[in-house]
Amino acid sequence: MLIASQILGLIAPQWILLVAAMLVLALDLTLGEEREGWLPYIALLGLGAALVASLSLWNRQVALFEGLFLIDRFAVFFQIIAVLATGLVILASIGYFEGKTPYKGQFYALLLVTALAITLLASAADLVMVFISIEVLSVTSYTLTGYLIADRKSTEAGLKFFLYGAAASAIMLYGMTLLYGATGSTNLAEIGRTLSLASGEGSRWLPIAAIVMLLVGFGFKVSAAPFHQWAPDVYEGAPTPFAAFLSVGSKAAGFAILLRVFLTALPDFRVDWFALVTTLSIATMTLGNLIAIFQENIKRMLAYSSIAQAGYILIGLACWDPQATGRESISAILFYLLAYLFTNLGAFTVVIAVERAVGTNEISDYAGLIRRNPWLAAALFVFFLSLVGIPPTGVFVGKLLIFAAAVRLEYYALVIVALINGVISLYYYYGVLRRVFFLAPRDEAPIAVSTPLRVVLAVTLIMTLGTAIFAQPFIRLALTSAVL
Amino acid sequence: MVPLSWYLMVSAALFCLGIFGVLARRNAVAILMGTELMLNAANINLVAFWRHLRPDVMSGQVFTLMVFVVAAAEAAVGLALCIAIYSSRGTVVVEDMDLLKG
Amino acid sequence: MGISHVLFILFSVLILGGGVMVVTRRNLVQAAGALILTLFGVAGLYVLLEAGFLAAVQILIYIGAIAILIIFAVMLTRRLADEQEPGLNSQWAWALGTAVMALAILVIVIQGTWPLAGGVVGNAPPLTGDSTSRLGVALLSPEQYAFPFEVASVLLLSAMLGAIVIAREKRH
Repeated sequence: MLIASQILGLIAPQWILLVAAMLVLALDLTLGEEREGWLPYIALLGLGAALVASLSLWNRQVALFEGLFLIDRFAVFFQIIAVLATGLVILASIGYFEGKTPYKGQFYALLLVTALAITLLASAADLVMVFISIEVLSVTSYTLTGYLIADRKSTEAGLKFFLYGAAASAIMLYGMTLLYGATGSTNLAEIGRTLSLASGEGSRWLPIAAIVMLLVGFGFKVSAAPFHQWAPDVYEGAPTPFAAFLSVGSKAAGFAILLRVFLTALPDFRVDWFALVTTLSIATMTLGNLIAIFQENIKRMLAYSSIAQAGYILIGLACWDPQATGRESISAILFYLLAYLFTNLGAFTVVIAVERAVGTNEISDYAGLIRRNPWLAAALFVFFLSLVGIPPTGVFVGKLLIFAAAVRLEYYALVIVALINGVISLYYYYGVLRRVFFLAPRDEAPIAVSTPLRVVLAVTLIMTLGTAIFAQPFIRLALTSAVL
Repeated sequence: MVPLSWYLMVSAALFCLGIFGVLARRNAVAILMGTELMLNAANINLVAFWRHLRPDVMSGQVFTLMVFVVAAAEAAVGLALCIAIYSSRGTVVVEDMDLLKG
Repeated sequence: MGISHVLFILFSVLILGGGVMVVTRRNLVQAAGALILTLFGVAGLYVLLEAGFLAAVQILIYIGAIAILIIFAVMLTRRLADEQEPGLNSQWAWALGTAVMALAILVIVIQGTWPLAGGVVGNAPPLTGDSTSRLGVALLSPEQYAFPFEVASVLLLSAMLGAIVIAREKRH
């Protein structure tokens, strides 16, 4: 039996994030406009404290509140991802809202709440907890997407996100009730035990229906086809820093909960969800890459690219086999998510820098970027190399690890489809880079990059290359975190 | 006592009415009403399972209360978005929202 | 067939009849009214299932707050022209097909585990003690659901904050 102070220590990352959010809100009301600039740094301090608190939990393996809430390395890994993503996005949004909205403090506060939601999701081990945490993430995401009320695209994106999201989560909830009905429990581990004891007797169709319905909700969060339609509109309309957050933070959270639920509650139905996940994976990467080719807006292109990336990551789940590749495939997913976090945030930061100078997000605006700011052009080059999966970059290593798991199980078809997709993706990434390097700019004026954006670019660039060149410690980190 | 399966059938029918509403309605507020039907269908399931499986364990009822909270939060945010859109465009018909192609 | 069966059928008619009107009525004020009928029927089912507290909450929160909020939104976003326009989009036939197929699948799935043919008398285990007080204990004791209860309060807080930011008057 744990005493209250011990419990508080174990949920420290969560309450620190909550306190930081409340503090930002309170200071926003009291500081006044001239000192408003402090707020993001206060939010960053809170994130730093939360990071220290999560790192101190690294060696703990505890189930709190009768198994509602698990603290293990898997959870801590995603706490780190949540804090990193939120911290970089806060840095990247400093100055972004100038003249766009008077409510800057609330943005940082709500962003801290989304970070809190991701840390909750990573630890959730009970359907009640899963549902409520996923909804905290969704509801704050709808708000932050529609945040720029003076911008009609932003509110339109917010409403579309909300309508798709509310329907997807209602379907997911219905699937959860079926699982509860089949087992009489909401605890994931207990559901898993009951289902495996009952396998053979009773109807197999009930858990399969539940799996399909859960996949609607989780697939929506990771933007897997055919539940991806929201992503392009939302990425285009949302404030760009928040689009960046959705593409890495929200996606990582979706994969965390997908892994936790499927591998603890439904491992006995692997044969059934294997086919579903494989189909989803192939459809997602092919659709994402093919439609990305035709985009003229860079945020929409990155949206389809991030849909395609979700497809590659799903291969990792399809290749999960408790006997052969259990830990290997989970760790491949974790590594991929970490490398992808830096790469995609970096790409979005370049977009933010260009958007702040040019005012729009058309791909044609990238013509001659190398002459306007060679650093931005070089950074974009590295990030796109990584997104295609060309060495020496982080996502390349991630792809390698995922393919290794697939080859181990002799799922060569999946690898071949993914490789063909890599070639297709080369086409549209090259389309942007061709403009950046070889076309003449419409406007010769150099693009200035603010200091916070430079910091984000430096961190993401170093980590995109670092996760590949010094891959060993990161692979080990992913491997030790791959315990469920 | 009414058997469990009766409740489940009513809930399934209500859920599918909700799906139809979400897919077929043009007005954003009407789509929101469709999702409310789906949430209520899930709630009927939860309470019926709680009563018929293990009424001594309260997880089903707690789950239902959480769904109430979520429904309230979603309605507040969704309707705020509807009002924001209406004030700039004068409509909440989803088909008329075409600034974002998709 | 006892009184509970009669009540069940009555409430189900209320739920599904209301539901059909919610998704088909062109006039959204009428649709919102039908939603209240459905919500009321669901509260009735909770009473039959001996979850009295949930029935009360259903009426106070769902009908008293959420449905009223929806009616407000309908009023605030109503155009007179809307009454002449169709309530359904051009894909409604496809939507109907999807819904009917989903219903068929769900019925088969439910039949497989809880067959309707099991007779008209349910065999729920007896309810011992006061379930409302047990619900209160479950919600607020740290060993059970106090933690998600707190998370729910964070959800409401952030939804409130977001709704205020978004729906506030624009300042130019």
